[in-house]
Amino acid sequence: MKSFIRRYQWQEVLIGLLVIAVFIGTQLSPYFLNYLNLANSSVTFVPTALMGLGLFPIVVLGEIDISLTSTLAVSAVLYARCWEAGMPVVEGALISLAVAVVMGVVNGVLVAVAKLPSMAVTLGTMGAYRGAAYLIAGDAGINGIEGGYASLGSTWVGYIPVPVLVFAIVAFVIWVIMAKTNYGQYCYAIGNQAPAVKSAGISITFVKIVAYVLGAVTAWLAGVVWAGQYASARGDNADGTIMLVLTIVVLGGVSIFGGSGLTSGVVLAVALLFVVQSAMSLANVPGTTQTLISGLILLIAIVLPNLSRLKELIVKKPTTK
Amino acid sequence: MSSDKGNASNKSFGQQLSARARSAMKSQGAGVIVFLLLIIVFFSIFAPHFMSMQNVKNILFSAAVLAIAAVGESLVLLTGNYDLSVGSIVGIVAFISYDVCSKAPGLGYIVVIFGLVFGILLGAFNGFLVGYLKIPSMVATLGTLSVYRGLDSLYAGSREVTKNQIPHWVNVFAPSTFLGIPSYVWICLILCVVASFFLFYRPSGRMLYAYGSNPKAAESFGLKSPRIIFGAYTLSGLLAGFVGILMGAQVGTINSVMGNGYEMEVIAAAVIGGVSLWGGVGTPAGAMLGALVYACLDNGLILIGVNEYFRLIFQGVAVIAAVGVDAFIRMQSARFSTRHAILEVQA
Repeated sequence: MKSFIRRYQWQEVLIGLLVIAVFIGTQLSPYFLNYLNLANSSVTFVPTALMGLGLFPIVVLGEIDISLTSTLAVSAVLYARCWEAGMPVVEGALISLAVAVVMGVVNGVLVAVAKLPSMAVTLGTMGAYRGAAYLIAGDAGINGIEGGYASLGSTWVGYIPVPVLVFAIVAFVIWVIMAKTNYGQYCYAIGNQAPAVKSAGISITFVKIVAYVLGAVTAWLAGVVWAGQYASARGDNADGTIMLVLTIVVLGGVSIFGGSGLTSGVVLAVALLFVVQSAMSLANVPGTTQTLISGLILLIAIVLPNLSRLKELIVKKPTTK
Repeated sequence: MSSDKGNASNKSFGQQLSARARSAMKSQGAGVIVFLLLIIVFFSIFAPHFMSMQNVKNILFSAAVLAIAAVGESLVLLTGNYDLSVGSIVGIVAFISYDVCSKAPGLGYIVVIFGLVFGILLGAFNGFLVGYLKIPSMVATLGTLSVYRGLDSLYAGSREVTKNQIPHWVNVFAPSTFLGIPSYVWICLILCVVASFFLFYRPSGRMLYAYGSNPKAAESFGLKSPRIIFGAYTLSGLLAGFVGILMGAQVGTINSVMGNGYEMEVIAAAVIGGVSLWGGVGTPAGAMLGALVYACLDNGLILIGVNEYFRLIFQGVAVIAAVGVDAFIRMQSARFSTRHAILEVQA
């Protein structure tokens, strides 16, 4: 029992914060716990949450991918263009998926084969993919998407919006991959001790490329959901929201240095950030302030585990003259 | 016995490092200059009016401003860290400085000081996060990128600062020239000289290189890493603030999205100029050259008529290509220094 509590310490903190946040939310607005409101606003949060799930394995590996939001945009506009051209849904979905996979492979190859720093690589691909999204979308974007193409983003199954269901399924899949498969174990191992993994004969290159492809696929899914729920797609979709995605991962207890972090943490962080964002929206906090607060949350989430180090620095006395 | 290479133990740690760093930089510097000449030749042929007086002035303007930011960023890169908040610092300093000074006309002369101090504060906060709290730089500056941008939007709302609100002397100074060369270029050149002097001949500057080349070794030598990193970020913030003032004067109309995405150009310029992302390698002159190369490429592409979205793709590819070349050179020099070390032992 004790080891259970210790292992899930961070999750317990998150649950505590979640309860507090929900309480504050109810104080801010009587409509806060209204199911319909929550369900509707959760749909807009799903794309970001999906990317968070996709970023999770990459960060565990000790790398990063800040191009996910641009991959979302490319997927969304490509998907929309296929709708415009009258292609059947499945074809449109497969074409945009294929392109997303290629984008993930490019990232993976540059990081794992060329061994370039992932920050710089994905900084570059973030810009390049964004440009591609603008090119495909044109100045006006694509509007009026409906029918099968919009199904993943705007329909409901009973009382649950389909996007939320999609998130739940992806969360489950990511959990299975990271917690129950050898691949997941390799990710944690590489994040902790890459040289040891190499000696064990496991291809780090393969693991990293797969991780980046996985991230790109979640971004693709996020793009499809986005296109469906907004019934449109533009080149600037999700521009600038990568920080929120990173916040989800870091808040979820995933160490930025790699090697640790659980799916349950990421899911709880999604819930917490969703509640915080909903509360802010209901309190009429402007969008830019919300981003500001999300940025502060990111910084706090990172600083807290490191505070003990700060104490060291202040208390430490010089040992030599 | 000991050859004319000089017995390693007779030189100080800092001297050794700067000697090796300098020889590596010389070969890189040559590569960048060759690349620059190739670009100039290419665009002179294919782009109309590329070498016209007006266009050269345009290129120099954007290159000078980018170069100053790149020099600041290179200080951070030298320590092995990133500063992704450059664009946000540029934007927020520009808006708030000019807005505050437009409201109180008497403050017109202080706008530059205001901007520099503001930049120092923003950079210092970055330095505190990365140097003292030991937050990984990419996350810390990604966070401050959003926080600073958020503060900027909060302050600005949908307002803009227009040309007639900017202090008059700034409007006169911005397009001015001295001996035929734009003032901005002079500022940039002077800054480059100052920065190079600081980095090569002052102990604190050499500490930056020492730390970046080998953080662990530097720390066992007694170099205080928090202070070095804090200093680098503060200087980077100072320069970014300066760029904010300069860019604001150049652009004419300042809004809350100014500087969005600028960090990509800045990092690309620094890396093209030979500043290594792994730290410890690079010069201000290199960063300046890199900025010039980038400005030429961007300008040339515009003149050829390339779509603005293609140029965005190009920016991203430029970052990756520059990093790739940097990695390649690093790999080659690692092989070289291993051979070098073996030869020294044999001597």
